[in-house]
Amino acid sequence: MTRQSQPATPVIVECDLSEPPGKVWKALTVPELLARWLTPNDIRPEVGSRFRVEPDIECEVLEAEPNRRLRLSWRERQEDSEDCQESRGDFPESFVESIVTFELTETLTGGTHLRLVHEGFEVVEAGAAPTQLLMAA
Amino acid sequence: MLEFSVFRALSDPTRRAVFERLCGHEMTVSALKAGFTISQPAISQHLAALRSAGLVHERRQGRFCYYRADPRGLTPLAKWVDRYRVFWPERLEKLKTVLKEMDP
Repeated sequence: MTRQSQPATPVIVECDLSEPPGKVWKALTVPELLARWLTPNDIRPEVGSRFRVEPDIECEVLEAEPNRRLRLSWRERQEDSEDCQESRGDFPESFVESIVTFELTETLTGGTHLRLVHEGFEVVEAGAAPTQLLMAA
Repeated sequence: MLEFSVFRALSDPTRRAVFERLCGHEMTVSALKAGFTISQPAISQHLAALRSAGLVHERRQGRFCYYRADPRGLTPLAKWVDRYRVFWPERLEKLKTVLKEMDP
């Protein structure tokens, strides 16, 4: 039960790729390539560039260090399913904001170690300042 | 439906603070009020929202009501984050395919 009550635990995925960091960087930041594994987009690898992943997710580039590190803000609107409309009550629309970081490290064999961290989940009311998801122990 | 109300309930900073104060502490409304500048009816309203979202549990004893946070109420949020534990490995598998198909 304790584990379930800590949804703010980051999602971390690591893998080794045989391609060098320069090539992996392209796959992360060239729109046509990113479109083939994540989503159609108009990303530019520069701070402030915004794009969409699926209709409900908005991203913004927070950091772009070529061949090393790409950091995105990941803002997902909470979808109201039809049976929820009535229960909405006086709660305004909310979002969950989080951060996705891709870190690339060259391996000894010339490939890339990719570490993806998705963290910092915060519930945000439309138009309000974010509140960090502090979880009960 | 529950997931929906959990997100809504926690998106309000004051309600979130009420919830956090009740984590690991059982309190009456008046004890809870001590830490806030808002009125007791306002606190009660937040408690009602938190209860309907399954985040706060109420216990009646005599003429007092005691409230505490119910960590199980956070499960919908945990499940929401857990979707990404499936999403990212799937996408990275696709990335591997894209890398293989790219020109050198």
